Amino acid sequence: MKNYTLTIGWMYPELMSTYGDRGNIIVLKKRCKWRGIDVNIRKLNVGFNEKQLTACDMLFMGGAQDKQQEIIAGDLMKKRKELKKMIDDGIPGLFICGAYQFLGNYYKEANGTIINSLEIFDLFTENPGIGFSRQIGASAALVLNNKIIVGFENHGGRTYLGKKIKPFGKVIKGFGNNGKDQTEGAIYKNSFGTYFHGPILPKNPEFADYLIRLSLEKKYKKSPIYLSPLNDTLELQAHRLALNALKI
Amino acid sequence: MNTLLILLGNLLSSISRFFNLGSGSTWPGHIALSLNPNFIQQILNKNNLRIILIAGTNGKTTTGKLIQAILEESGKKVFQNQAGANLLNGIASSLIFNSNLLGMIKKDFAIFEIDENTLPAILKEVISPDYIVILNLFRDQLDRYGEVNTISKKWGDSIQHLLPKTTLILNADDPQVAFLGKSRSNTLYFGINLQKNKNEKFQHASDSIYCPNCNAKLIYKITCFSHLGDWTCKECGYMHPQKTFISSPYYPLSGAYNEYNTNAATLLTQTLNLKKGKIIVSLKNFKPAFGRQEILKINGKKVQIFLSKNPTGFNESLKTITSLNAKNLLLLLNDRIPDGRDVSWIWDVDFEDFSSQFRNIVVSGDRAHDMGLRLKYAEFKKFKIEENLTKALTTTLRDMTNDETLYILATYSAMLDVRKILTGRKIL
Repeated sequence: MKNYTLTIGWMYPELMSTYGDRGNIIVLKKRCKWRGIDVNIRKLNVGFNEKQLTACDMLFMGGAQDKQQEIIAGDLMKKRKELKKMIDDGIPGLFICGAYQFLGNYYKEANGTIINSLEIFDLFTENPGIGFSRQIGASAALVLNNKIIVGFENHGGRTYLGKKIKPFGKVIKGFGNNGKDQTEGAIYKNSFGTYFHGPILPKNPEFADYLIRLSLEKKYKKSPIYLSPLNDTLELQAHRLALNALKI
Repeated sequence: MNTLLILLGNLLSSISRFFNLGSGSTWPGHIALSLNPNFIQQILNKNNLRIILIAGTNGKTTTGKLIQAILEESGKKVFQNQAGANLLNGIASSLIFNSNLLGMIKKDFAIFEIDENTLPAILKEVISPDYIVILNLFRDQLDRYGEVNTISKKWGDSIQHLLPKTTLILNADDPQVAFLGKSRSNTLYFGINLQKNKNEKFQHASDSIYCPNCNAKLIYKITCFSHLGDWTCKECGYMHPQKTFISSPYYPLSGAYNEYNTNAATLLTQTLNLKKGKIIVSLKNFKPAFGRQEILKINGKKVQIFLSKNPTGFNESLKTITSLNAKNLLLLLNDRIPDGRDVSWIWDVDFEDFSSQFRNIVVSGDRAHDMGLRLKYAEFKKFKIEENLTKALTTTLRDMTNDETLYILATYSAMLDVRKILTGRKIL
């Protein structure tokens, strides 16, 4: 697949990457490289230029701690317009945990304070406060095409989807968006929000390839584009063992 | 009451050891505290001990052992809680094991290594220490400990209420740790020779590169590993403490992280006016704690175990064994409670920097396949995945010569498992 190139925008790698979510970037990069797709990872740190963002063919942003999120929030809100346009236009994106929450309408803190968010995904998140623990543990969800995604979730906020957005998956094990309605994550156009760390892509290589394929099809305005196969024996074995551990 | 608890505790511990149920290092304390929540306080008030607390993500056990070695060489009587038994119950247990039935402890110093989340509770309710050593704060077992900022905030709150007599000994190179001493007198700082240990690039697993005072991005003149280095905030002017102790007379263990541990121990013991010669002798004769660069022999082959339980620890272990020209590597990844259930963190380790260092690599542990996958994506060319630990060990040992060393990097419970096999000589 020599003639293809992809630029993946990695939003706030210095700050929004506490839970091993960098693994997703490593996996996307190597799965492109092994197929001869020329891939360029563009790190977008606080203060980046909007043009650097809009030239990306795929976006990724990971989760972090509250303090890190506070530091980037101002910068991210400044880029709302460009980011919204890209996501509305169907540029593929993967947004984990805190990044996923940012895309919603607002975040309600335990004390009732409302923090405005990007209002790109029709959802909101609230922190139920003291007396409610974080939702932590290995998890699995059933997604498109009857595939099972495995990972590990660790979040304090509970996310509730609005009418204009679909869940990414249905919870099989774990808490998902809020521990109540069995939904996990969200899909809007070609963008995915999810609570799955683990990180999500290494043990779910089909999802990684799906993101790569969507990005190529969008960029080259050609569909379908078939990715050359890779040897995923190890990935699928690790996936199976994760399911076994969850007794699925 | 306490007499009874001490008697009961020692009895339980003996029974536990007799039936080989483990060393019984936490439950005597657990029982004592559930029957008398003020047990620790009451025993400590009865005794005239000087108390040293050690906290931090990495290096607690080694630093505690270094301080103990120096103090004992200088003729002091010292006891510690057992490595890893660093919650309130482990501390209570160590008091039980070291006191007579009247609750009297015939020692000069008590050294307690303290779990990150337990430090605030201990300072608030239980102990007014003479020293607190804070080594570092890195991301570690986020499913269990929570996030770095949450911990440092809790530490900051409890340090505010310390009596002035407590000497704080802080790592100057870790911005968030140094910040704990910002408005406090009776604070001493240690670091290391950064020129000698400098690193060209930032590691991904850097948690505190933004100003703890004003949130602006810090400027680093030099970085060493993770977020440790010579930092300054251009925004608010907050900067690396100037007077920093950076050189011990001798370093018994390899790696920059052990220079930090050694300098913390030397700085603390220097304030006690001990003879310099004693410090040197004890450092030169120092034997590492179990699993912390501990060397064992098996079938005439040398094995060295590096406990590596979080991204920074793992990076530094890899760097250290590379400097020792390691060729044979056994990686052990478990996900039990003491390891943290989430293994996502292995993707924050910079394996990519070491992809062509080793000749003979075997991966094992409960999550061997996750580690294998990590190596695959770091483009390690050749490695074996062997779930059975004994087999993994035999395979790695088979593929090396007698004059080579096998380096084992293991998470906590995996380290205990492999040590049991090695010291029990269970393999042939």
